Amino acid sequence: MRTATSISIIMTMQIDQTQPSAALLRLMTWLSPAFPVGAYTYSHGLEWAVESGLINSGDTLSSWLESVLHDGSGRLDADLFCAAWTAVEADDLAAFLTVAETAQAARSTAELALESSAQGAAFLLTVTAVWPEPRLTAWQAALTARQVTATSPVAVALAAAIAGIDLRAALAAFLHAFVANLISAGVRLVPLGQTDGQRAMALLENQIHGAVEAALKRDMCSFGSATPMVDWASMKHENQYTRLFRS
Amino acid sequence: MAGLSAAAVPIETQGGAQVQGSETPVAAVSGRADIRFVDQGDGTRLQTLYQHNPMRILFPQAAVGDLPLAAIVNTAGGFVGGDQVAIAAHVGARCRALVAQQAAEKIYRSTGAVTTIDVNLSAAPGSWLEWLPQETIVFDQACLRRRTCIDVTGNGQVLAGEILVFGRAAMAEVFRHGLLREVWEVRRDKRLVWLDALHLEGAMTALMASAAGFAGAGATATAVYVGEDADGLLEKVRDFLPAGDHVRSAATVVNGILVIRWLAPRAQDLRREFGVFWAHFRAEVADLPGRLPRLWHI
Repeated sequence: MRTATSISIIMTMQIDQTQPSAALLRLMTWLSPAFPVGAYTYSHGLEWAVESGLINSGDTLSSWLESVLHDGSGRLDADLFCAAWTAVEADDLAAFLTVAETAQAARSTAELALESSAQGAAFLLTVTAVWPEPRLTAWQAALTARQVTATSPVAVALAAAIAGIDLRAALAAFLHAFVANLISAGVRLVPLGQTDGQRAMALLENQIHGAVEAALKRDMCSFGSATPMVDWASMKHENQYTRLFRS
Repeated sequence: MAGLSAAAVPIETQGGAQVQGSETPVAAVSGRADIRFVDQGDGTRLQTLYQHNPMRILFPQAAVGDLPLAAIVNTAGGFVGGDQVAIAAHVGARCRALVAQQAAEKIYRSTGAVTTIDVNLSAAPGSWLEWLPQETIVFDQACLRRRTCIDVTGNGQVLAGEILVFGRAAMAEVFRHGLLREVWEVRRDKRLVWLDALHLEGAMTALMASAAGFAGAGATATAVYVGEDADGLLEKVRDFLPAGDHVRSAATVVNGILVIRWLAPRAQDLRREFGVFWAHFRAEVADLPGRLPRLWHI
């Protein structure tokens, strides 16, 4: 602490900004690849995109994932995440259930639906067991009564909002985990060296901020996506002869 | 209902003539076509027919052994920004009907006003409704919001499609800029089960070319089938789809809804494959003639 006071104000500010908060640590735990949602078993259609030669390098992987982040599920799920978080923050259960139902319906293929619903369910199961909160339990019961499974963005937004974690930080961590998981899948599938994988991550890391800000500004009348080739790859993956991934 | 803004840019009219937007604003239309079929024990009969300019509903002679056919006609020949169109087709219990677009739809370039098209399809228990589209050609700088809602009760069956063509290929036109929003909403017994929203806005050249986006496709199509037998049809449907890369196509069953997609560089290739699927599907699933109405081939 004494050394910190001796350095410049700017440096002090930087240190303060990077002071690990409880919220940051909680997000790192929940969105870590080690968190038991089975993220490593999903490729979001990448397995077919690699099989069919659409992705064959670090560059083609990065540009595919850029589209997924800005125009595909990244865009769609970011909007759902914001809407769900905002509803929880406002303690508006009815609005939250509508978002959850919309999120469950807004899946373009069987495997993308599985990827999101299975991870969302596993996420809430673990969070409820380890970090029990009466409100979390009550809202989950409301989901069950409505026969809605929380998809991944809805589940994480619910837990984050109840834990009092800021929307911007929670959404950034959510998108980061989503992209990092797909890069890991890409590294295994193409295959790429670990350094090339991290190059792709560095490139996309810079874009997550923009994706978050765009989502915070976007109106729900622009809700949607525009990555039909991802949907196509995901559908084709259903029939892929040998496969490592569930999506 | 906002007309075109008074921008001094040439706006292509329905006849293809060029007019100055500032001098001759094109009045926006509010078109409607409602059609309801009912079966009171004597087969599928027309119950309600409502049409408002520029929409018309015609009843061409159905082919022998085929369903009653209603053809939706846009007498304006195309839509400009600000036009609002609502189309509704309902089949009552036990009815079977085919509703088709008579010709390709054109969405002209807009200076900002949006064309909205709402299609509502509903099917009662024991019924069958086909909504067979033709291509919607989206001109460069067009602004379109289209929503297709399907409401099915009980074991009703609906087969619906939409085809989008990006720009006029014959003029080497590309859809570079504009708004294109294509939404599907499917409800079963009033419950939302599937939602799909394609949203393209602003400059879209990069996304049209990108591998995960449209990969250079000049056209895309979607078909949706709602019916209790959807799950069991997936494998058969895959046999109706083309192999190879001239038309990329695939099918899935998501939340119990059968969804089929096509993407192709050339619109005519896509259209042909879409027709092949449609003819096979109606024969396989509804025991109907394995062909499309004549208006599809004109």
